[in-house]
Amino acid sequence: MRAVRSARSPRGLVSLCLVWLLLGTAVTACSAGDPEPVTLRVLASSELADMEPLLDDLRRETGIRLEMEYRGTVDASEALTSGGYRHDLAWLSSDRYFQLERKAAGEQGEQPLATATMRSPVVIGMKPATAERLRRTASGGQISWADVADAAAEGTLRFGMADPRHANSGLAALVGVATAAADTGGVLRPQDVSCDRLRGFFAGHRLAEDSSARLADGYVRDQDHLEALITYESELLALNGGGKLREPLEIVHPKDGMVLSDYPLLLLDPAERAAYDRLVEWLKSGPVQKKIMERTLRRPIDPAVARIPALRRPIGNALYFPDDQRVVDRLLADYGDPRRDGRARVIFLLDFSGSMRGERIARLRAAFDGLSGGDDSRSGKFVRFYRGESLTVMRFAGRVLDERSVTYGSPRDLDRLRGFVSDDGFGTTTAVWSALDHAYEKVSDEIREQPGRAVSIVVMSDGENNAGIDLDTFIRRYEARPAAVRAVRTYTVRYGEAGAAALDRAARTTGGRMADATVQSLLSAFKEIRGCDQ
Amino acid sequence: MVIRDRPVVGEPRLEIRRPSSWWTRRGFLVVFLPLLAAVLSGVTALAADGKVLLPFERIVTLNGKMASKRDYFEDPEVQRLLLKHRIRVHITSSGSREVAIQDLSSYDFVFPSGQPAGDLITTRRADANEYAKVHRPFVSPIVLPTYREYAESLEDAGIATAQRGSGPGRPLYYVLDMRKFLTSIDQGRRWNELGVQSHGISNANRIVVQSSDVCDSNSAGTYLGLVSFTWHGRADEVPGSDEEADERGRAIKPLMDQGLPGADVFRTYISPEGKGIAPVVVAYEHQYLTYQAQYQAESGKLDSDRVLLYPSTQFVTQPQFIALNEEGDRLGDLITQDPELRRRAMELGFRILDPTGEVASDQLTTFLEDRNIPVPSMGGDDTRSAMPRLQYLERMISIVGGCPAATPSPGAPG
Repeated sequence: MRAVRSARSPRGLVSLCLVWLLLGTAVTACSAGDPEPVTLRVLASSELADMEPLLDDLRRETGIRLEMEYRGTVDASEALTSGGYRHDLAWLSSDRYFQLERKAAGEQGEQPLATATMRSPVVIGMKPATAERLRRTASGGQISWADVADAAAEGTLRFGMADPRHANSGLAALVGVATAAADTGGVLRPQDVSCDRLRGFFAGHRLAEDSSARLADGYVRDQDHLEALITYESELLALNGGGKLREPLEIVHPKDGMVLSDYPLLLLDPAERAAYDRLVEWLKSGPVQKKIMERTLRRPIDPAVARIPALRRPIGNALYFPDDQRVVDRLLADYGDPRRDGRARVIFLLDFSGSMRGERIARLRAAFDGLSGGDDSRSGKFVRFYRGESLTVMRFAGRVLDERSVTYGSPRDLDRLRGFVSDDGFGTTTAVWSALDHAYEKVSDEIREQPGRAVSIVVMSDGENNAGIDLDTFIRRYEARPAAVRAVRTYTVRYGEAGAAALDRAARTTGGRMADATVQSLLSAFKEIRGCDQ
Repeated sequence: MVIRDRPVVGEPRLEIRRPSSWWTRRGFLVVFLPLLAAVLSGVTALAADGKVLLPFERIVTLNGKMASKRDYFEDPEVQRLLLKHRIRVHITSSGSREVAIQDLSSYDFVFPSGQPAGDLITTRRADANEYAKVHRPFVSPIVLPTYREYAESLEDAGIATAQRGSGPGRPLYYVLDMRKFLTSIDQGRRWNELGVQSHGISNANRIVVQSSDVCDSNSAGTYLGLVSFTWHGRADEVPGSDEEADERGRAIKPLMDQGLPGADVFRTYISPEGKGIAPVVVAYEHQYLTYQAQYQAESGKLDSDRVLLYPSTQFVTQPQFIALNEEGDRLGDLITQDPELRRRAMELGFRILDPTGEVASDQLTTFLEDRNIPVPSMGGDDTRSAMPRLQYLERMISIVGGCPAATPSPGAPG
């Protein structure tokens, strides 16, 4: 039996019913009294704070009061998997992280009932001039994540993005951009994220916050020093309408896709099923869906609700979300800490023996042009050299001919780097293992000066070792070095007449691997091992 | 009757309260008594029509658990017809497979969308010596709804062909060559490589069909059966051992790799954002036909942007209404036998079954023709027999979906 609220007099109720009946309205509207008031404790994603005004309507219309406790989505998901639920409901921007955690923890119990309540994609808000500039060089005139990564790497696009360890918008953006970088067109697999292809992209990451609301505030504060903001479409629309931006942000739905959030409401305490059903029914009803859309600028889950003009633009293609916890863990390990120093150092050991003259050296120079931003392919835009990266070129033949370093801070630095490889001094013999041994000497000094920085060595050779120490000697010396030095991996690029066995063995000894430029272009071989230093 | 502490018999909708002093107030009676009389006679008239219920009638509220077949019980017309029989239905949504593997003690009936889940339930209940009675009111084929640009790209690539004779205008129905389609998926081809750009859209994603979670949905499980059947390539040969089932599960897993599945993919498909989010989904024919009928009723025309791919091998799914007690059984009898409810099921796009268990297809044809909806031609090829035995299907689902296999008893029928 439903309790009749004492505030409403029975007479009023009956009269009301009679009037309804006379008007020919369905009698179901006149069931006796309001539903029993109930209070539900909700663990909610912090961005759902914008639902507060609607919660008053909810209480008035259904008697349901929600007691909201706000947390970052990722933190909330972890709280949900770490033991018994302390809330009746969870209302998350996305329950994907929760699902992955549950799966990884091997939980077999009944999954909490979940109902999607609205949608918003994580997209890019860009200053109009930046968008205009990117569009000019983007293939087909449509901006992709690759174009964003390219501009970020060259230092012309600085953006804000929430911390993926706490906020769903950050995690969605990270998965989106990593999926685009892998460019398989499919779901990210562990092998797609084994190398770090996003360093160029993250070179432009200048603002991180733990929630999308604080991120938006941060953007308002720093707007003169940022060109873009990566967050929910709804947040961007709200910012544009909020009057705090000196320049509105153009909303870019990246051509290669986005990750969508659908704000599921989860029933944690099955005993509250009846109230949950009432709540879901209310949330999914047409008028409430319309109100949600108008107040939060998220897209209704109800197909029939007419979208406001700002939400009529195509949403873009949804990228698949990985169903393997290892993928997300790896991404979070690589990029989780926005304050980490992501600027790596790479030492290129380049074979300048006589056989490299002519076409081969031309190809090598072209490869460096490509890595300096000249490669317009999607992968090229992701793995190019980026601002802050330190690059050392050691040219070697029978000995190390010279070594020169540059830290990429401006386009002039890349010109200098290209100058290093356009040197025409060639030697006659090839002492690849002596050169590599020398490189590890240099690394030892650097690690002392800058511990914690990612360092890797890339050796390109087109012939057999015929001078200096042999591979066994190199390996003996390598193995005698301190652990921190041994942790520096060597990647080898096999070119021309170089034998595969020795190059492969040397690379594997250090934890690296060989890329074969006899079966693909030299540029592709260099690209294959970019970012593979961990 | 009471199951646990939950009253099954609902209270009357309009309660007559104990007379109290205000009833007798003169002013009230003078004004309202004639009014009340008029109203009550109106109510009686309405009640005969099933629209409202009289205060003295008792309604039974039955609790049911189901997946996509909630469309049927959520239909206002079905609800109205059931009220005439003094039944109200309260629905808990759940994937069909989830329906099967979870605790059912608080339900009067379940309505899994297909036979495998149904068998799982009946077997378990038989083992536990619990009440279970099966009714089979209608069937619906598994289809792959998509958008015109995608269908036409598949047609360009020779993977789909427009169904002949599906009426004037642009075709609404296509036959999808499953073998060629799966080969494209296996090759990792992307929609852009298939040429969707020449139809005005761009999509760099690989070709994949999105379904609800295969771990809990019958439509996804049926699609899995279809993929496995097609990919294995030898007609009507289903896995015959655990090892074979595991091997086939592993073989088709990459063909169904969609990452974390979304919920309610058909609803996403019909939303304005569907083309980007859910370009090809797994659904039942009735879901699509109902959608077109509603669209037609609201706008006076068909939604010619949303079209159907009929897999060349057709898998008909047979929803099983399983009564868990006698009240549930009364409902089962009604939906399989009551002419009005049967008619309504047909109007909702289901292919209703006649008493012999055959599809009464001419009724659906007439219904669609009346609404100017092209009639899809149904291949008479009912390959339900090609669904793997339940035990093996479960193993394949477990491999593809990464969820623990439900364990039916060894003697479970396939």
